[in-house]
Amino acid sequence: MLTSSKITAPPPPVVMVRDMDFAYGGSRALTDINVSFERHRVTALIGPSGCGKSTLLRCINRMNDRVPGARVTKGEILVKGKNVHDDDVDLTQLRKQVGMVFQKSSPFPKSIYENVAYGLRTHGEKTPDILDDAVERALRSAALWEELKDRLKQNALSLSGGQQQRLCIARAIATQPDVLLMDEPCSALDPIATLKIEELIHQLAHDYTVIIVTHNMQQAVRVSDFTGFLHLGKLIEYRPTEEMFTHPREKLTSSYLRGTFS
Amino acid sequence: MHDAPPPERTPLSTLLLKSQRRTFLGVDKQKAIRSFFALNSSAAIIVLALIMIFLLREGVDFLPTYRRELTTYRKAGLEFCDLISRPLAKHQQLCSRLRRAMSASLNTITQPARLRRDAAYQQMREVEEQTRLQRAVLTNQLALIPAPTPEKLSAARLELREATRAAVNRLPATPFLTPAENKQLKRELSLLSPETAELPVVLSLLSSAYIRVDQEAHQSFKPIVEAVEMFETAPDSLHELLDGLKKQARATKELALAEYAAANHKPVDFSGRAAQMTSQIPEISARIAGYISLAEKASSALPDRAGTAEATELLQEVRELLPIHLGEMKSAAKLLPEWRHDKRVTYFQVVVAFFFGDAWITNSSWQDFFGFVPLLAGSVLIALIAVLIATPLSVLAAIYTNQFAGAREQDFIKPIIEFIQAIPSVVLGFIGISLLGDVIKDVSEWSWLQWVPGFPIQERLNMFNAACLLALMALPTMYSLTEDALNNVPRAYIDASDALGATKLQTVFRVVVPAARSGIAAAVLLGLGRVIGETMVVLLVAGNRIAIPDFSAGPGVIFQPAHTLTGIIAQELGEVSRGSSHWQALFMVGIVLFVISLLVNWCARAFVRRFELSKS
Amino acid sequence: MSLKPTAGSNPFLGAKSRIERRETMVRWLLRLCTFFIVAATLGILAHIFIKGAPVVFRSSWPFINTTFLTELPSTLHVIEDVKGHRQEVDVTHVDEVKAALGADFHADTTIAYSGGGILGPIVGTALLVFVSISVALFLGVSCAIYLSEYASKGKRVEMIRLAILNLAGVPSVVFGLFGLGAFVLTAPVLTDLPLERSLLKIPLGFSYLSFQGWDTCVLSGGFTLAFVILPVIITASEQCLQAVPQGFRETSMALGATRWQTIRYSVLPFAMPGILTSSILGIARAAGETAPIMFTAALAFKDKLPWQKDLPPLPADAGLFAQWEQSIGRFLGIFTESVQALPYHIYTIAAKIPQNEYSERAQYGSVFIFLVLVAALAAGSVLLRRHLRAKFRW
Repeated sequence: MLTSSKITAPPPPVVMVRDMDFAYGGSRALTDINVSFERHRVTALIGPSGCGKSTLLRCINRMNDRVPGARVTKGEILVKGKNVHDDDVDLTQLRKQVGMVFQKSSPFPKSIYENVAYGLRTHGEKTPDILDDAVERALRSAALWEELKDRLKQNALSLSGGQQQRLCIARAIATQPDVLLMDEPCSALDPIATLKIEELIHQLAHDYTVIIVTHNMQQAVRVSDFTGFLHLGKLIEYRPTEEMFTHPREKLTSSYLRGTFS
Repeated sequence: MHDAPPPERTPLSTLLLKSQRRTFLGVDKQKAIRSFFALNSSAAIIVLALIMIFLLREGVDFLPTYRRELTTYRKAGLEFCDLISRPLAKHQQLCSRLRRAMSASLNTITQPARLRRDAAYQQMREVEEQTRLQRAVLTNQLALIPAPTPEKLSAARLELREATRAAVNRLPATPFLTPAENKQLKRELSLLSPETAELPVVLSLLSSAYIRVDQEAHQSFKPIVEAVEMFETAPDSLHELLDGLKKQARATKELALAEYAAANHKPVDFSGRAAQMTSQIPEISARIAGYISLAEKASSALPDRAGTAEATELLQEVRELLPIHLGEMKSAAKLLPEWRHDKRVTYFQVVVAFFFGDAWITNSSWQDFFGFVPLLAGSVLIALIAVLIATPLSVLAAIYTNQFAGAREQDFIKPIIEFIQAIPSVVLGFIGISLLGDVIKDVSEWSWLQWVPGFPIQERLNMFNAACLLALMALPTMYSLTEDALNNVPRAYIDASDALGATKLQTVFRVVVPAARSGIAAAVLLGLGRVIGETMVVLLVAGNRIAIPDFSAGPGVIFQPAHTLTGIIAQELGEVSRGSSHWQALFMVGIVLFVISLLVNWCARAFVRRFELSKS
Repeated sequence: MSLKPTAGSNPFLGAKSRIERRETMVRWLLRLCTFFIVAATLGILAHIFIKGAPVVFRSSWPFINTTFLTELPSTLHVIEDVKGHRQEVDVTHVDEVKAALGADFHADTTIAYSGGGILGPIVGTALLVFVSISVALFLGVSCAIYLSEYASKGKRVEMIRLAILNLAGVPSVVFGLFGLGAFVLTAPVLTDLPLERSLLKIPLGFSYLSFQGWDTCVLSGGFTLAFVILPVIITASEQCLQAVPQGFRETSMALGATRWQTIRYSVLPFAMPGILTSSILGIARAAGETAPIMFTAALAFKDKLPWQKDLPPLPADAGLFAQWEQSIGRFLGIFTESVQALPYHIYTIAAKIPQNEYSERAQYGSVFIFLVLVAALAAGSVLLRRHLRAKFRW
């Protein structure tokens, strides 16, 4: 099976998680996770609160490192074929190539331009022309350029909620990452802003591998190609979205999808 | 038959909701308690108002009092004298420069002889000091009446002889004298006794040798010596005349004061006395002209070069400064005829004299001046240095503990920095006197630090010393407020920055610190407020010299002593009588301090408010 | 087959060493700054300890220099005989020692304030602190109760808070001026013979209420200090009141208690330990201030304790009432006397007498004791608060 996929499917999975256990101190949060996220596809992670979907997401760019006691106890996470926990992995390089967008939009209290250019600047880019280009490209990709091109010097905090979140997406893709992690990016937004972001996610899938955590099943249906369902730290089911929602294999999945529990 | 009427019932609602309240004078207990607390809560407002009221009550009369004093100053003609003597004071400074140049020049010739003489004298003094007790015994015995027995006397003499010999033997030979001279000196010193007043021969020889060399030196530097002498005596006749005028003016002032003290005293004839003074204007002008021509002559007689490079430089300085000084004298002479003793002193002038006056002179036999600038300059300069020292230290320390330090390290650092707050200011002041002053002075004498401007320092107690301690006092305030500001930076900023691949350092300095900047600014301002208002440290350590710091010394100015707004109140208020102009002036200084503190607080609040706005 | 890449194809290889070097450098720079402050503080404390501890402690029983702690400051005489021996003598024994030396007497050097001990200043500071903390606690806690329990948001509360903030920033020497103007020269007293300078005389029949001031005394100084520490007390008390859970109040109110009953029985008892602990910090602050008491209470030198006042002797047949009256008068007299205070004493011996080995001993001894007292108060407050916080966690 594996051998054949290697021959027939040219784009190998960008992110692979193999036999991973993860624990916060003594309490185990994720057990025996095995999943590969396909290249240039949108994968949604769903599940009830506290099931570990955010934890899984944050493992990929090692955002959990800062939490005291949190560590991967077994298995490995491969991004672009490299175990992210290897000693020779530079965290800043990893995060440059694995961007992340948070639940609460968090633009820095700086100008719009500086917000988008921040990631490039931290990686040592100083040439104004390159920065200008990168900012324009990122804002265009985030469908913000038309709205904001005349007020790049304005404070980012003056934008509306939806614009702020899209700005955060622009900020994350300005460094041209391969993978974009999204942690419930729409949960704090109104329906119209949510719709815009979802459209944007579709667009982004052309260039990026997107992994999105959501508690909204309709959203998962709308935006994702694959869906993983987590429950109590275990990956119960992982399949193409359509199959998953029409013919769930597992009982647990179907009862969650029916809303018997949440 | 009638039905019995139903028993009267209070409606249920009234029963249940009946008020239990009893009132006293229309106020029920709850309200009374409430208003009691409300009244107490106004304590802060009331105290602030009272502070203002009492400061004003004691201080507001300053303006009329000072105006009256300045009026007397003018009427009695003291101002007239000062018109000349103020610019003339520069003459002294120029003189001291010339004298320094002269002695430096003479020194090139006389130094060896002087060193030899001084070394010999030093040795004699050393021996005398070491045999102090024995000498005292012998002197006492000689002075006794009736005279003690010869045995006792000779015993005392013997003891002294022994002690002297021992002391002489302990003396090291000085390198300034030849071995033969050293030997002879020792021999002669061992015969020292309070009974003979004669100098040891070697010493008198060395002294006369020095005198001879000194005369030679005066000969070889004749032009400079003569020019300096001429310059020094140039204003003598002018001084003589001025002294007469000053005496007269002071007498008039005394009369005026007596008149003010006793209402029925006969009025003083100010105009007559003023006319007497103004009648001397031609004479004064003539003498000023005489002074000017003499000074110019002396200046042109100055040689181009003196004995040392430094001395030449001093001469050059004098040559540059002299024309300015003489110009001032000329314009002063021109001002004289325009002076009127009965010109009114306006309140505006009084206010200007207080807030922009450059002299704070009290207990003077001539005239008291209450000029605010020297004190303000001292206070502001010290506060600025202190804040300049404290800001980077406290902000960086706060960043370190808040962002980088581990939990253990934090538990160690934080209590210690917070403990600084508990050290009373007078203790820190004492440290400045007993420890820091000496440390700074010693460090300033290290040879490899001589490039620092102002080194080696002259005064142990100076502005820099005080500023260091004030910085230490301001540190905990600034540190904790900065830490608060850093803590208030939303977690989300840090997460977002981390996720973009920024390193810890980049996150801290590009996101966290900029986001906390108005909080940090407020912290610095509040630290500044604390520093300006601090009293004991500056009183003990700043050196208490009432003068505008000499900014011509460049950055080295910070090593000069100064006086401050707070220090002057603490130092002088205890010694003045209530209601005097001096007392009122000190309260005026207090009012200014109070206003400054309110302003600083207001600014800090404005910063914090901006901070809160930008966060929401 | 393995997806593990060979060593050469690490996609996340960074220019690690250069960045890391910079990070480490900056981190060390910051650490250096921090530890510079810590070292300076510890250095000062160590210096005072090294110089001061030998004055206060003894190597033999009772290990503490009792003279230093139980005697009043006095002038120290250093008598030198012809042999060069020096001995330190206090004022009362000078003549005795001189007579004993006879012809051997050589010189007598006097050093002001450096003899005896520092009992007078310690007692004075204790009295000042007692008065100031009583006044400040009364005003401060009531103010905090109003702000936390009664007041609703509004202009008035805004103003009170603004005033508290500003009061905290007023320089201490300005408080001294205020105390001089208000308490020393203007505060009201009951007197039969009002002074000329009195601002206002109100005849009461048996006596006058005259606004002529309390003169320099413990009361004036204590009240002045009370206002210096008022902001500290208010802020701390309000925090403690706020820390009492809202539920306590609601439960009490729901049971029909009035507002005052609620405060009295359901809020204050829980907030009081915290308030008292925090007020220790106020005590430390009050004990440490010098400028406010310079003109309102402190004396450079006094050879009696406050209660050792010469009162006219009672007639032999004086009744119990007269004796009782006199002891009351004696007690109240404590507060109407000016006193020596530790900070002012340190100022005097640091600034007004020349430095030499004898004065240095008195200086470091006093500073050491003072610092130990103040530090113990501050540290005690911090520790107690931590303890309380652990104990009362609602």
